[in-house]
Order: sequence, then C-alpha cells, then structure tokens
Amino acid sequence: MTGQIEIEAKNLNFYYAGDIHALKQVSLSAYKNNVTSLIGPSGCGKTTLLRCFNRMHDLYPKNRYEGEIIFQGTNILSNDIDIINLRSRIGMVFQKPTPFPMTIFDNIAYGLRLKGIKNRSELSGKVEKAIKDAALWDEVKDKLNVSAYELSGGQQQRLVIARALAVEPEVLLFDEPTSALDPISTAKIEELIVQLKSKVTIIIVTHNMQQAARISDWTGFMMLGELIEFDKTDKIFTAPSEKLTEDYITGRFG
Amino acid sequence: MIFSKKKNPIDLIFSFITGVASISVILITAGILYVLFTESSLSIEKFGFFKFLTLVDWDPVKESFGAAAALYGTLITTGLALIIAIPIAVGVAIFITEVSPNFLKGPVGIAIELLAAIPSIIYGMWGLFTLAPIMAKYIEPFLQKTIGELPLVGILFEGTPLGIDLLTASMILGIMIIPFTASISRDAFNLTPAVVKESAYAVGATKWEVVKDIVLPYSKLGVFGGIAISLGRALGETMAVAFVLGNNNQITTSLLDAAATVTVKLANEFTEADKDIYLSSLYYLALLLFIMSFIVLAIAKFLILKAERRYQR
Repeated sequence: MTGQIEIEAKNLNFYYAGDIHALKQVSLSAYKNNVTSLIGPSGCGKTTLLRCFNRMHDLYPKNRYEGEIIFQGTNILSNDIDIINLRSRIGMVFQKPTPFPMTIFDNIAYGLRLKGIKNRSELSGKVEKAIKDAALWDEVKDKLNVSAYELSGGQQQRLVIARALAVEPEVLLFDEPTSALDPISTAKIEELIVQLKSKVTIIIVTHNMQQAARISDWTGFMMLGELIEFDKTDKIFTAPSEKLTEDYITGRFG
Repeated sequence: MIFSKKKNPIDLIFSFITGVASISVILITAGILYVLFTESSLSIEKFGFFKFLTLVDWDPVKESFGAAAALYGTLITTGLALIIAIPIAVGVAIFITEVSPNFLKGPVGIAIELLAAIPSIIYGMWGLFTLAPIMAKYIEPFLQKTIGELPLVGILFEGTPLGIDLLTASMILGIMIIPFTASISRDAFNLTPAVVKESAYAVGATKWEVVKDIVLPYSKLGVFGGIAISLGRALGETMAVAFVLGNNNQITTSLLDAAATVTVKLANEFTEADKDIYLSSLYYLALLLFIMSFIVLAIAKFLILKAERRYQR
C-alpha cells in the first residue's frame, strides 16, 4: 500500500503572528492515492498543518514557516512559488459547506473559469464530470441553474467537493468535512472520500477517530504542535507504539 | 412559585417602557406628517398634485408656485453625488478590508470616520471658498474644452463657469456621503465569512477575483444599505448645498448653472414667506421631500429583501 510519496513535510515549524509556535518539527509523508488522516485533541495543530500544504496561512499577515514541504520534488514553502497555481493543484474542503453566492453550475465552473476555460461545451463537460465524481449528479442534474443555497447541507458539502475536483487537483485537503453534517450525509461523504482516492491523494483532519479508522490508510496523531506518531491506520488503532497515542485512542483524554 | 403564570412585575415595567418608547417614534412620525398635510392644504387645494409637480414657476408676486425646479435640482444633485461617491466609497471599503496592509487599516478607517464627523456647514463653507473657485477656474473650463465639445453630452457643460452650480453642489454632496457608504460597505465586507473567501482562494482565485466574485455578491445587501442611507442623507442635505447652488429657481440642462433644491428653498425662504399661500406652498414642498425620502427607503428595503431571498437561505 505504500508507494510513491505525493507530498511531504520535512522538519516543518510554523509560527502564527506574534511568534506562537504552532507546529514543532513535524515530518510526515502523504502517499499517492492514499488517505492520510490527522487526529488529535483540539488545538493540537492538525488543522494548522493541513493549511500549510496549500499555504492558506499566507492570507494572513506575519505567519511564518520554517522547514520544507516537498510536493512533487519542489519545496512549496520557497518564496518563488506561484501560490495561486499551487492552490489549484492542492484543493481544500472546509468544515462547513461553503457554496459561493451563485448557481450550482457557476459554483463548480468557478475554478475552471479562473483557469481561463471559456468554451461552453468544455465547461459543461468538466462540470458534469466533477459533479458525477462527487456523487451529486442525480440530485442536481435538473437544477444546475438554481442557487447553490437551495441544496441541503450534505449536498452543499458534496458540491464543494465537486468544485474542488473540477480543477483536477492532485491533492485534496479536508478539514473536518463532516463535523457540521448529519450521520447519513456523513456516511455519503466518507464513502465518497474512499472512492476519490483512486484519483487524488487525500489528507483529512478529523475529530472523529472512528472516521479516521474507517476511511484512512495512514494516520498521524498530533499533540501540542508535535506529530507524536505516524503510521498505517491499522497499526495506530490496534498497536500504537507511543503511550500518548494509546491513551488518546482509548479515550483516556481528549 | 416556579410554575406560576403571573408575570414578573419588573418584566411588566420593562415591556411598558420599551413599548412606550417604540410607539412614541411612530407617533412623532405621524405627527410630522399630519402637520405637513394640514399646513400645506391651502396650496394643495389651489395647485393640486400634478400641477404643483410640473409647474416650474415659483413666483411670490403672482402667487404661482410649482415644485418642478426644486425637485429637478434635488434629483440631479443627489443622483450625481451618488455617481461620484459610490465608486470611491466602495473602493475605499475594499482597500480597507481586503487589500490594505495592517498598519494602514487604522489610519484610513479613522480618516473616513472623521470625514463623517465634519458638520455640513463646514462642508458648505469649504465648498464656497475653496472648491467653487477651483471649479470655476480650472475644472469647469477643462470639462467644457473636453467633454463639452462632444455632441449630445455637450449641453451638460454650457454657459459661463462660475463655480456656484449643480456640479459643485453635487461634488460637495458626493464627498459628504462617501464616509457613510464606505463605512457601511466596509462592515458589510467584513461580514463575508473568512472560510468562504478561503474556499475561493483554495480553487486558485486571486485577491481581485475573491473580491469580485465572493465579497461583493456576498455583501450586496450591506452595500445597498449604505447607498440607501447615503441617498437619504443626500436628499435631505441643506446647508452644504445652500452655499454652492445659488438658489436659482430654474430647470437647466447645463450642470454649470445655478439651481435650487427642495431643502435649499425651504432653508432660504421660510423667513420671507409673507403670504399664506407662499408658506403653504413651502410646506407642500416639505411634504413632497418627506414622501420622496420615504419612497427611496421603501425601494431600498425592497431591494434588500429581494437580495436576501436570493442568497440568504
């Protein structure tokens, strides 16, 4: 199940504005076409780590990275990286569904149009494919031109996944994508994530340990900004080598 | 008794006080409307509605009064002021919320708030002594030589540039309403959820694309609100306009001519209204202004509601 490394953090340190040391010497590899999950108690830095991979932290002043993140042989933390291009190759899905104030079609086509695709038939082809990949087609095929706000929460989250998929990223980052959803919608998203790994490499932050166990191939356990343990999911949940990991997954804290 | 249905006396007093406060606002509005109606009844009887609205005359000697010129001046100055103010105000708001480095956000924000704090009489004095001469000497001749030479729009810039005219008044008004529009737009922009903006960045949007596609559509309501408040202020603004408009009761195609607005007329002429019909006609003008402001607000509310239904589910 191992294989090629898609994206890799090497001795990564991250400081929020005001020199708050949020990530300490984190080294972690996400393998191509695998699902890697990050678990840990609130405030452990798992979301902070996730947001390093597409340099979302750059949107806010005075955040600082140290170390390297290697994506397909390039250190994406270096200054001469085209962040806009990077973000279209490393997509992201957030906790709450974030449809844009436009129609379903325009939502999905958004990233494609940014890339300069104007041809109507090419656009609709790619939009349709993305919606199908996100397992949403049957529910929205007759109402592509209505506002995305008309959809339910679970549908909106799949719409957002479709929007991320439309630009054909190589990596998809999920930041607790089901924490705002009901159990049925959650099951659908989980199923979808497992299906999607044949197309993209997935890194997911989750509060739900069962979810990590169900859908991921690799799991990293974080605490207080450090990566305590990183291994195959089976190993982490059955025979962790660190005492802290064991305490956390057996529910002794967190 | 925990389960007693009796209401807490403090609650009762509280509901009573707040209720009285709310009702008094309605009563005051109704009272003002009532006074405007009764005082203008003489003029309403004599001129009727459409005749008063379309009559350009404002002649105390012949006792012939019409609102057309004043309404025209009000509409032109207000409209032009909005055209001048909206792009600047929205630009300022975008700069403060999305573009500006942190250390500039405070100073620019405070400068805008201060602009709102300047009393309108000071705008009027500044308009008369500083802006009007600049307009007459440089800007208006320049406009005449450039846009004024074009067909069709040329008539907007005919005449001798004196600086006391519709264009100067509109500029002053425009500057005055920038802070309102800007600060309300800024608040509206700030309400755009960060995570929605981040989602757009996450599919490869640039800053400008995020502003254009996410922030602006998201905060449409708030910006409309800001524009509505500005419009209300511009319609009712008196002092600043009175200084630089000349109170000349005429309908003119040239923006370089003196004109009158409803408010300027009211401010200038109440003291000299020596006949009942003159005074009554002024009240009639005030009534029209009241109704106009009311309609503007109603339209703004309607637009906001419509936008709300479309996006805020």
